[in-house]
Amino acid sequence: MSLFQRGQVRRIRLHVLPTKRFKTFAISLFAGLPLNEESVTPVALIPFVLRRGTAKTPETIAVRERLDDLYGAGFGFDVYKRGDSQIVQFRMDVINDRFVASDVSLLEASISFLGEVVTDPLLEGTGFAGKYVDAEKLTLRKRLEAIVNDKIRYAAERCLEEMCADEPYRLHPLGKLDAIDGISSSSLYGQYGQWLNEAALDLYVVGDTTLEEVTELVGRSFKLGDGQPAAYAKPSVQKDVKDVKVVVDQMDVSQGKLNMGLRTGVGYDDELYPAALMYNGILGGYPHSKLFINVREKASLAYYAASRLDGHKGICTIQSGIEVANYERAVDIIKEQLNSMREGRLSELEMSQTKAMISNHLREMQDSAYEMLAYDFNGVLTGNFRPADELLRRVEGVTPEHIRAVAQGVQLDTIYFLRDRKEA
Amino acid sequence: MEKLDYPQVQETLFREVLDNGLEVIVLPKEGFHKTYATFSTKYGSIDNHFAVGSQVPSKVPDGIAHFLEHKMFEEPEGDIFAVFASNGASANAYTTFDRTVYLFSATENIHANLETLIDFVQRPYFTDANVEKEKGIIEQEIQMYRDNADWRVYFGLIDALYQKHPVHIDIAGTPESIRQIDKETLYRCYETFYHPTNMLLFVVGGVDAEEVFRLVRANQARKTFAPQGDINRFFEEEPAPVKMPRRVAQLPVSLPKFMMGFKEKNGPGQAKSALLQETASKLMLEAVIGSSSSLYQKLYDQSLISDSFGHEYNSGPGYAFSVIGGDTPDPDKLLAEIRSALEALIAGGISEEAFMRAKRKKIGSYLRMLNSPESIAGEFTRYRFRESDMFDVLAGYESCTLEQVNERLRAHFDFNQLAVSIVERPKG
Repeated sequence: MSLFQRGQVRRIRLHVLPTKRFKTFAISLFAGLPLNEESVTPVALIPFVLRRGTAKTPETIAVRERLDDLYGAGFGFDVYKRGDSQIVQFRMDVINDRFVASDVSLLEASISFLGEVVTDPLLEGTGFAGKYVDAEKLTLRKRLEAIVNDKIRYAAERCLEEMCADEPYRLHPLGKLDAIDGISSSSLYGQYGQWLNEAALDLYVVGDTTLEEVTELVGRSFKLGDGQPAAYAKPSVQKDVKDVKVVVDQMDVSQGKLNMGLRTGVGYDDELYPAALMYNGILGGYPHSKLFINVREKASLAYYAASRLDGHKGICTIQSGIEVANYERAVDIIKEQLNSMREGRLSELEMSQTKAMISNHLREMQDSAYEMLAYDFNGVLTGNFRPADELLRRVEGVTPEHIRAVAQGVQLDTIYFLRDRKEA
Repeated sequence: MEKLDYPQVQETLFREVLDNGLEVIVLPKEGFHKTYATFSTKYGSIDNHFAVGSQVPSKVPDGIAHFLEHKMFEEPEGDIFAVFASNGASANAYTTFDRTVYLFSATENIHANLETLIDFVQRPYFTDANVEKEKGIIEQEIQMYRDNADWRVYFGLIDALYQKHPVHIDIAGTPESIRQIDKETLYRCYETFYHPTNMLLFVVGGVDAEEVFRLVRANQARKTFAPQGDINRFFEEEPAPVKMPRRVAQLPVSLPKFMMGFKEKNGPGQAKSALLQETASKLMLEAVIGSSSSLYQKLYDQSLISDSFGHEYNSGPGYAFSVIGGDTPDPDKLLAEIRSALEALIAGGISEEAFMRAKRKKIGSYLRMLNSPESIAGEFTRYRFRESDMFDVLAGYESCTLEQVNERLRAHFDFNQLAVSIVERPKG
């Protein structure tokens, strides 16, 4: 499997994977800080404002035209959490020049664009351009208010919020509505300076290039002070659950959304992590898994019933859409599946099918530039650069006893139900 | 086996039509670990009134193509997902307006997985009990979409645009329509549309083309299919006007969701002209209201739109329409702004600059799409079922002229052909 070459330019760690397999260059810059009540909202706002204009290209429309001229280079960002960190990921993808008659190097132009957006923003007086800050505060507000629009995601996020009520992980990566008003263009600019100086910065490039070329381009394009790269703090994945928390919200919905949050106590760096992957796979990762078979196929209660593992936080979540009246039945069936996992009721077939599916996923990742770099970034986050083929071997070696060891430590923490407004 | 070279995008296709009429296409991707295969029938939600040869035409309940898709996964021995899982493949399926696609992706046991894919799609197994059981599952799928505001505003728009054409019917049907489905009707639809002459197998990824063809030929040689006459699909004539100019639904949303669409007076014509119309329309929309247009920026600056704002052009057998929209605090003001900007553009035309920019953007996104086996298989099949070639799309974008795009601008934005769909918070 392919290996990233590593380098460094001032505070930025570089990770470059030279390959001719794709028609594009995939570029990602990750900037991470600990999740924190005070900084979460302004940090989330920073990329929204940065994308509006740079010192060289102040007008947003001209920024977008520049991207279109690079054969519609894709540019975007995401703000999300991993472990106890808030991460801003900028993404660019641009086609390899060999497919088009371009008179500029598209990779060079893209890195230079990204460097400008992140480190050379449009300024006005003592802060960012006021009109952009105002407009993007509104955009951020709309985004936070819109979370409720997608009921599946809303229920999933409410479940985590309730489950982690006394941990930083309760925070939404886009921050808090009531913190938006207090942000000014100069306070945001202050926060931005701190962000640039303190965030862990990792730049990835996958495509037909070399570490030398990327090092040179980044050195030229990113205006950053000296200093050493920052590291990520290890998230806490242990927590004792005393009572299962049950939370019910009511809203105008046709379908009830049932979510459950489980603590596995197993993090990405844990010896048992491969077994935790298997636990999740057998429980609800696939259409052959216990949840799909028992909630959907046998009981016809749902269209979707699945589980997902967040290895960085050691949390496994279950989600299903059911008729409101079937709440008790669905909860019982799901609890039965958790019990059977705890008692180690696993067939050989479930073992081999789940191993085959996880292995397939780990191999398929190699065909996507973004998945490859996202996987490698797990190494940055945890200090454990376990190559995908090693993880694959470890998964192959998982025994029912390993899974049982994980299952014994799994604690149901929270049951969340989003239901209609009819009488309970 | 026929070899088709596309030097400009550095891809090579292999194609063969087997004796039983099944078309097989293989696109080897050097260096890829994954193989992605789709087995598709030209049969979707709009094919609800049909006959083979001189048969008496049948009308079938709404949502049956999608129901059939669900039921194909069940075999006498159990669920086919288990077989795929044992071979490390993730399998799935989807139903659109005009096709049903079964697929898997895998990095190992490709031959076994291909056989599984072909065999399960060619082996229907419907019983009264398993058909009944599926109704609960699909009803929950329908309810899930009912709660989804983006889905509601989009399908609400199509419903407002079309009076007769079945494109306005929900792909999954309604709880009422799916209750009418029984195994006999499922078999009738199956026999009609799952004949090899109506299907396409597409394999893309780290495979050897000749090996795939050998496997598929041998697989098909083991099965017999009675020859089948042409499938006639009946569509009531669609009047030019929209069904209703404005359709409003209520859901708990933070801001109203708004979509406007222009319905072409005539459905797309023959394959070549349909492809030309589609490319020119997409370029035109990008130039007029894409994210780097002055109109987009103006609307954003007025806080009338957000990043959710976008556009698309959708066409298929007997229908073609544009969609423009997103979240907005004020649907009426947004509509008025767009309308006046469009009217000014129709008078003045798109500039050469905006046109060239849109063109580069479209070419770039087309080439990016070729990184994804999933997109290649999906798009290739979509175009193939319309008698055109996905690889001609690039040339289509390159050869499109400013005149053609301006012509499209004037022909498409006919305000008599406009409908809007809104999802807003319940009042009070």
